[in-house]
Amino acid sequence: MDVEQASDANLVVAVGRWFEPALAEVYRRHGGAVHALARRILRSDSPAEEVTQEVFLDLWRHPEKFDAQRGTLRSFLLARTHGKSVDVVRAEEARRKREERTVRETATAGYDIEHEVWDMAVAAQVKDALASLPDDQRQPIELAYFGGRTYREVAVLLDEPEGTIKSRIRAGLGHLRLDMIARGVEPAGAGQ
Amino acid sequence: MTPDFDPQDFGGGAPLPHAEMQELLGVYALDACEPDVAAMVEAHIETCLRCAVEVGQHHEVAGLLANSGGASPARLWDGIAERLGGTSEQSWDRLAARLEASEPSPEALPVETEEVDGPVGPSAPIVPLPMDRRRRWATAGASMVAAAAVVVAVSFGVETHDLQGKVAALEAAPPMSAMAQAAATQAGAERFSLASTTASGDITTPATVTLTASGTGFVMNDAADGLPALPKDRTYQLWGEVGGRTVSLGLLGPDPTIVPFSVAGSATPVAYAITDEVSGGVVHSVHAPVAMAAVRKI
Repeated sequence: MDVEQASDANLVVAVGRWFEPALAEVYRRHGGAVHALARRILRSDSPAEEVTQEVFLDLWRHPEKFDAQRGTLRSFLLARTHGKSVDVVRAEEARRKREERTVRETATAGYDIEHEVWDMAVAAQVKDALASLPDDQRQPIELAYFGGRTYREVAVLLDEPEGTIKSRIRAGLGHLRLDMIARGVEPAGAGQ
Repeated sequence: MTPDFDPQDFGGGAPLPHAEMQELLGVYALDACEPDVAAMVEAHIETCLRCAVEVGQHHEVAGLLANSGGASPARLWDGIAERLGGTSEQSWDRLAARLEASEPSPEALPVETEEVDGPVGPSAPIVPLPMDRRRRWATAGASMVAAAAVVVAVSFGVETHDLQGKVAALEAAPPMSAMAQAAATQAGAERFSLASTTASGDITTPATVTLTASGTGFVMNDAADGLPALPKDRTYQLWGEVGGRTVSLGLLGPDPTIVPFSVAGSATPVAYAITDEVSGGVVHSVHAPVAMAAVRKI
């Protein structure tokens, strides 16, 4: 099997057959994005590296969890990365709250997407799409996705009803998808 | 400018009994709900195609939001490789030999790989769509459900570190062609030929759709005169007209032979169409179908 020529779906089949070069190729293609997302959410190298490794080890152990009919391998890996990173953030947050009884944070604390430098053309399009969202949809998405907040926490931070936040996140994601398509960005085409 | 988006589009227009669950799909996809809520959503999407598709779409969007990565850090791979454990060249050789001696599982195959074994039952009459319907396919403003709507579960039947179980599952599953043949002979199964018009005006039937009473279907591309192979960055996409809406029934790949799909849980399509799209599929097609059929009961 020529792993460099194989599709993502074929690589996962090969991973299911314990073919280590296939996993190495999956890592070569998507490891950078996985690590970057973990690093962005966790803001620290060590836990980000641990999450990255866990994501690929999970694929090795449970390739059947990837359903090619429901999305690309990259989005699958990034969703797993996000979930694991958020778990770390929340565990750390809980520990910190127990120890420090911190004051309430503001909605804009902790990150500033406008100052991120994305060097990929598609990232620029995505950034534009995100920026074009109404603030009341963009803010909850940023807080939830990059800040690792639950929608209930977002509701508190933004002083809005929980139901409103749920709806705005969903509507915002829908807007983003259509906007990206209109800009020629394929929401399902990140992987090979 | 942000395109119009109505969250209810995902659910078919009118509020649905599971509308409240739908409202959770965005926060679920962003891991922004508590574990008990997440478990509830996960249970729901196991049985609800539309919501599963929507979650997939949200994951794709979220993946793009995160897509700021550079090269994969080489040092991390070393750590991963060290922890793979339990695998050796010998174990791979052993497994590969057994796999090669058996038919591969259809679930384990990429959707576009399987040979057609010939006709699979009587064909319903060809009913090319009238031109106004063709335009509807190309310009429908109604929401189309996800590009990747095929819901045949991908499951290798794998238990962690259970090579025997993995091989047994692969050996036990019949090939896709056999599944399609079996489906065509089921009581209540229907078969439709999708028609295409050549440049000279002739009508051909490059593909057929077989749909069982349970909602599982198969698209079969004719081996001899079927849809031509597309470039690697393109895919055929199957659409169905359901309840006055045009919905994606799944991606067929650039060179399909037999591809499963499902309409379980929704009304039976009254028309089918196949379009030529970019590799990831689209939500709204602006292309005229390359093949299509209206469904007429006989």
